[in-house]
Amino acid sequence: MRSRFLIALVGLLGTVAFISACSSRPAVPAAPQHPDISGVWLGGGKSSWSSTRAKPGTEPDIPYTAWALERMKGQRPGSGSESDFENTTDPALKYADPLGFPRQYQHPLKFKIVQTDDTIYQLWEWNKAWRQIPLNKPHSEDPDISWYGESVGKWEGNTLIVDSVGFKDSTWLDGVGHPHSEELHVIERIQRVDPATLQIDFTFEDPVAYTHAWTSQHTFKLVPGGKMTEVVTTMSDELHYRERFLKQKPPVPIRR
Amino acid sequence: MILRLFGMSGVFALAACGFLMPSPALAHHGRALIYDSKTETTVKGTVTEFVWSNPHVQIGIEGVDANGTRRQWLIEASSTGILADRGWSRRTLKAGDTVTITFHPGLKGSSTGDLIKAVLADGRELGAGVQR
Repeated sequence: MRSRFLIALVGLLGTVAFISACSSRPAVPAAPQHPDISGVWLGGGKSSWSSTRAKPGTEPDIPYTAWALERMKGQRPGSGSESDFENTTDPALKYADPLGFPRQYQHPLKFKIVQTDDTIYQLWEWNKAWRQIPLNKPHSEDPDISWYGESVGKWEGNTLIVDSVGFKDSTWLDGVGHPHSEELHVIERIQRVDPATLQIDFTFEDPVAYTHAWTSQHTFKLVPGGKMTEVVTTMSDELHYRERFLKQKPPVPIRR
Repeated sequence: MILRLFGMSGVFALAACGFLMPSPALAHHGRALIYDSKTETTVKGTVTEFVWSNPHVQIGIEGVDANGTRRQWLIEASSTGILADRGWSRRTLKAGDTVTITFHPGLKGSSTGDLIKAVLADGRELGAGVQR
């Protein structure tokens, strides 16, 4: 008698559980599965965002404004076809300023992507720079002006769209000295086009420096097991190098 | 200390063979006005210093030039990060080691060079990396 009662009770509870599971309560949607872009990546060195090898200031794929061309006058890049490393005006060499963004991508050292559900982090070896890209968030109402700008991102299918604003205008867009203003707006479309390749398509908008938006592309290869090292260069390091290799006397005391 | 002639004349080899760097991509600075990229010089000598630093690792070497004169060179390599990825470390060389260095010589007659490769005393060959 007692065992029959227990069997009936278990059966009743099972039925209730089944009905509950099949009720009209909406199922919790599965989290969207985004491509995995995490890992250590390495791109070839690049000194210009132009796809041509034309002299800076004359590239047909860059829509300069008069302001930009004026700003480039007298600039002496440290790399590229018009380089004058010894007398360069490149702020990243002359003052050991941060490369800033998007120039940071051009340095041929590794960067690491750390991917979470709500934020993407990018960590660069060169001068231990980093940035964070909150996902599905708006920009600040009044973004600060900074070396690396303010970035937000969102997934569109297999592509991570990163929108960045708020850049300090003293940095160069690239190693050959393309200028930009604080109005610079960079859009990146980041795709893992195959297991070993990350492709980034850039769109540059800056109504002060360029008459309309223009584009560029850079690709990076996965470095399996890549170890992130510290590669920091200070003003003292730069001046010490110049003293030894270029016989330039340091204008200020330096660490030796 | 044994200093040996290498290449054409025995101690010092100067080869203007149009050998190009694997990539023109440069991180810190261009080389065009500083080094003769069409010339390779190979010196076997003694390390006088090995500076594991940025923006460029520096190698001091004492050897004998094509004229039979003992002299010193200061060679620049890539940054520490790039060299580390190619098998170098801060302990790869030390003063007193014997090494064979191949480099693009400095222009303007300076005793500087842009590292192409180094062959260590144990026979290991380490490249400079294709990008600086």
